[in-house]
Amino acid sequence: MGASPQERPLSPEKAFRFSARALNPHTVEARFSISDGYYLYRDKLHFAVEPATSGLSVPPLPDGKVKEDQFFGRVETYRGNLIVNLQLDGTKPGQKVVIQAESQGCADLGICYPPNVQRVTVALPAADSAPTKLDETPRKQWFQ
Amino acid sequence: MRQATYWLWMGAAAVLALAGGAALAVWDQTPRDATKLLALSLPDTSGRQQSLDQWRGKVLVVNFWATWCEPCRKEMPEFVIAQRELGTRGLQFVGIAVDQKEKVEQFAKDLDLNYPALIGGYDAVDISKSLGNDLSALPFTVIIDRKGHVARTQLGPFKPGILRSTIDSLL
Repeated sequence: MGASPQERPLSPEKAFRFSARALNPHTVEARFSISDGYYLYRDKLHFAVEPATSGLSVPPLPDGKVKEDQFFGRVETYRGNLIVNLQLDGTKPGQKVVIQAESQGCADLGICYPPNVQRVTVALPAADSAPTKLDETPRKQWFQ
Repeated sequence: MRQATYWLWMGAAAVLALAGGAALAVWDQTPRDATKLLALSLPDTSGRQQSLDQWRGKVLVVNFWATWCEPCRKEMPEFVIAQRELGTRGLQFVGIAVDQKEKVEQFAKDLDLNYPALIGGYDAVDISKSLGNDLSALPFTVIIDRKGHVARTQLGPFKPGILRSTIDSLL
């Protein structure tokens, strides 16, 4: 079910819910849960981490749905869930990091949002361990 | 006893009506007065400052838009046609772009934009917020009558016919 024109549009924070959790001391899973009827632009998605010494490297983002835009040419969009595993080479076990995600998207009902920044604090595990399955990892995060 | 029950129901209905009215008043926070918007001055694509106050007395349609907003771009050709057909009767469109000057310039050229495109940058979102656009989304349009009162605000594109009928009723 997409958003109908009668619905009151969601705030960008609700339309594009951002969360992050540690998979191990050097990997953070960043996730966007995109509400039905809303989409994010691939080329407007940017990640940053604090402290800057965390040594963030962002892998190539997954392919999105390709759309030809009259003004911008080829653009890619995401719907549903988007997961990106961020590598942090400069972190220490047990450290806390702030993951910052800048995103920009629109709703099918015909509105777009300006770039929006969301931040999540993640506590990295104390001991180095292999990445655990998504549903088995306790959530250690504080939303700001 | 029956009469007492009647008045009890009437009282309850009155309380509910008042509460409903109050709830609506809280929901609709669109300012009716456009003084703040009309006092706004922003640069156009050539860098010249343009005050919205210069169009006071006209039916003014202020459209917050951006090139990165596809729904915004889609409805703008209709604005161009309306400006061409009704400009002599006192209609004035003004676009406030939440965008970079270079992109606005290019798009205005592509579309043969026949009304001013002012550059608001991302700060323009805050201006639209003060006019009821609490989601900071685009397109957001404010129609102001000749007396400087907000006649209508619209988040998202206008439905077919709504823009013209609103303008017609004000010209």
